[in-house]
Amino acid sequence: MYVEDLKKDFYNVLIGKRILLLVNHDIDAICACKILQCLFRYDSILYTLVPVQGITDLQNVYGENSEEVKYIVLVNCGGTIDIVEALQPKEDVVFFVIDSHKPTDVCNVYNNGQIRLLSKAEDDEGIPEFEEIFQDESEEEDEDGSNAGSGDEDGTEESRQAKRRRLDEEAILRRRERRLWEEKRDRLMFDYTQFNYYGRSSAVIMFELAWKLSKDNMDLLWWAIVGVTEQILLYKVENQQYVLETGNLQGHVARLGYQGEVLDDENSTHHKTALKITYEKDLQLALYRHWTVEASLQHSMYSAVKLKLWTLRGKKKLHELLAEMGLPLVQSRQKFGAMDLVLRQEFQSMIAKLADKYQLHDIVYASFILQYGFRSRYCAADIVYAMLATLESMGRDKSPADCFLEALDCLSRQKKCVLEEGIEKAKRMLTCIFKQVQAALDMHQVISAGPFVYLILQEGTLDAKMFSRPHCITLLAHFALRAYVASSRNRRAPSLPLIASAPHDLDRGTCLVVGIPPTCEDSPKNFFGKAFERAAEKTSARMLPDYLDSSIVQLKTEDRTRFFDALTTLLS
Amino acid sequence: MDPAEVEFLAENQMVSIVPNFNFERIYLISGDVGPFRAGLPVQVPIWMATNLRQRQKCRIIAPDWMNTEKLEQVKEEESQSRFFTKMPSEHYMVEGHLLLGAASEDIPHADEIRTILKDIWDMRMSKLRSSVDAFIKIGGTHAKLDHLTAMEINSIRPLLPHALDELYKLQKIVRIISI
Repeated sequence: MYVEDLKKDFYNVLIGKRILLLVNHDIDAICACKILQCLFRYDSILYTLVPVQGITDLQNVYGENSEEVKYIVLVNCGGTIDIVEALQPKEDVVFFVIDSHKPTDVCNVYNNGQIRLLSKAEDDEGIPEFEEIFQDESEEEDEDGSNAGSGDEDGTEESRQAKRRRLDEEAILRRRERRLWEEKRDRLMFDYTQFNYYGRSSAVIMFELAWKLSKDNMDLLWWAIVGVTEQILLYKVENQQYVLETGNLQGHVARLGYQGEVLDDENSTHHKTALKITYEKDLQLALYRHWTVEASLQHSMYSAVKLKLWTLRGKKKLHELLAEMGLPLVQSRQKFGAMDLVLRQEFQSMIAKLADKYQLHDIVYASFILQYGFRSRYCAADIVYAMLATLESMGRDKSPADCFLEALDCLSRQKKCVLEEGIEKAKRMLTCIFKQVQAALDMHQVISAGPFVYLILQEGTLDAKMFSRPHCITLLAHFALRAYVASSRNRRAPSLPLIASAPHDLDRGTCLVVGIPPTCEDSPKNFFGKAFERAAEKTSARMLPDYLDSSIVQLKTEDRTRFFDALTTLLS
Repeated sequence: MDPAEVEFLAENQMVSIVPNFNFERIYLISGDVGPFRAGLPVQVPIWMATNLRQRQKCRIIAPDWMNTEKLEQVKEEESQSRFFTKMPSEHYMVEGHLLLGAASEDIPHADEIRTILKDIWDMRMSKLRSSVDAFIKIGGTHAKLDHLTAMEINSIRPLLPHALDELYKLQKIVRIISI
C-alpha cells in the first residue's frame, strides 16, 4: 500500500523504535541513506545499517538481522520483487520501501499494511487494477461444489439430466470466462513488467520528508542534489525528468541559501568561505576542475563521442578546438587549478561559443555547485563520479561493505581526503573506460548479431577486473554503444541495442552481462530484464538475476554463447 | 584536573536559546529549566543548548560579550595592561569553543570571533609563561595573579607546583651540603 503522508505514517511511527535499514549499492540509495541517518540522529532513533548488493544478499541479511526488529526500511531495494514471498517475514513485521526502481511489484502495491511504499503512484506507471489481476480462487470452487451437490439431491432422472446439462453449460461458460480473464491478466502483467525504468530519486523523497519536518539544511539538500545528478549521469532518467527535478531543487536552494547572507557584506571572510550551493550552467566534461583540460575533454563520454577522439583525426580536431579557444597546449596539459587565471575564467564561455561549430550542442547543462572554504569547489557530477569509483574499488582486503561506508564518507564535508581519493580513482576509472572503448573499436570487438550488437571483454584484458562491477560495465556499455554509432556506417546502428559482457568471478566461472537500449530512443526504458529471463529459460542457462537492476545479470561463461543465440532469436 | 573536567564545569553556564518546540518545565537536580515555548527565548545550560541545536530543535542566541567590537576592546585592554584584565566570562574559551562549534551559523561573524578569542588566549598564555619564568628566576616564595580563568590555571597546574617542588628539593640538598 502507498503511504501518502510521510510525516505521520512513516516518520512518527518510527520514533522510539529499533529499525533495520537495508540500502542498495548505488549512489542515489547512499544519498537517501545519509539523509535518513541525519534525521535518525536528530531524534535519537536506534538503527542498524546494512548494505545489500542483490536479492540473495537481501535474503541473507534479513535472515541474520531480523530478530526482534519490527520495522524495516528498504532503500532502493525490494520495490520490484515480492517482499513477502522472498523474505518470509513474520506477521507483525512492517516494511517501509523507498525504491526508485520501477515497475513496482503488484504484490507490494496491493499488500494490506505489511508493506508500505513511500511514494505516490504516478499516473504513467500504469499499475493494473486489483480486480484485473487478483481473483478469489476459493469462490470459484465453492460454487462448483455446491451446485454439483444440489444437483444430486433432485428427484427425477429427466430433471436431473436437464439440470446437469444446464450446470454443465454454466460450468463451461464460467471456465471460458476464467480463461479469457487469465489471458487478459497475463497480457496486462506482461505489458506492466516488460520495461524496467527508474522513477523519482529516493534522495529527493527523503529530503522532502526532512523539509516537512523542518529539519532540512544545506547538507541534506546537497545530498538530494547528488542523488538526482546520479540518475542523469548514469542514463537512468530522461532529460526532461532531470530538468523538472532540478527546478524543484533550485527552489529549495533559493530558500535555504538566503538565511546565512543577511548580515554579511561582500568582502568579509565569512561570506567568502560560507557554505554555498549555486545553480549554474556547467559543462558535461567529467571532473574538469580537478583534472587537465585535455584529459577531461578526451575521457568524457560526450566530447569523446562527438569529436571521435579515439581516432587520429579526432585528436587533431581536439587540438584545433583548443587552439581556437586560445588555450595553449602546455596550459591544457596542466591541472585546471594551475592554469592561468584569465584562461580559467574564460574556459566555460569559450567552450559554449565554439559548441556549435564542433557539434557539441548539449555540452552545457544546468547543474549545482557546492562551495565551502577557500579551496573546495565541487560540482555535483564530480561527487557522483568520486562515489562511483569508491563504491566499486573492491580489492582483496576491502569488502563491499567497506566500500559502501567509504562512499558514505565521501558525502561528509569533514572527510575531504576520502573525496579527493575518490576523485583520483574516478580519473583512473574514466581513463580505463576510454582505453577499453578505443581498443574495442580498433579491433572491431563490437560485433553486430542481427537485432543487437554485443561487446565481450575477454578474461585476459588489461583492467578486466575493473569491469566486473555493475556500474563500471554499464558506463562502458553506454560509451561503447555511442562510439559505435558515431563511427559506424551502418544505417541501422542507432536503432540497435548493445549487450556487454565482462568476466565477473574467475573462480566460479561467471561473467556479468548488461543490456542497454538503443541510442535512437530517448526514453531509458530497458526491456532486457524480461529478455534475459526468457532466453535463460529457453536455453536453461545458469543465470542469476541477482542485481536489483534487472538489466544486469550474472551468467556462467560456458553458457554465454548459447544465451546470446537465444537472445538473437528472441529479439529478431 | 583534565581539560575535559574544566569543560564539564563550564558547560553549566547559562545561555539563551529560542526553541522550536513546546515543552513544560524540566526539574533537574541542579535546578529547573523551562518552560519551553516555540519562538520565545529561554535560559538553559550550555550542555542542553548544544544538544538541542545538534538535533535542530532550537536556535542559539550569542551571549552579550560574543561580538566583534566588545572582544576587540577586551583584546586592546589586555595588550596594554601589564597584568591580567578581567575577562567577560569566567570560562570564555570553553564557551566560545562549544557555542561556535555547535552553532556557527547562528552567531554572526563566527570566524572573526574565533580569531579574536584565539588572539586573547595567546596573549594571556604568553603573559602567564613570562610571569612564571620571572617568578622562578627571582626565587620568590609567593605570587598573586588576578583575573585568571579556570582553563588557564589548569594549563599551568601540572607543571608549576611540580617544578617548584623539585627546586625546593635541590635547594634543601644544597643547604644540607653547605652546612
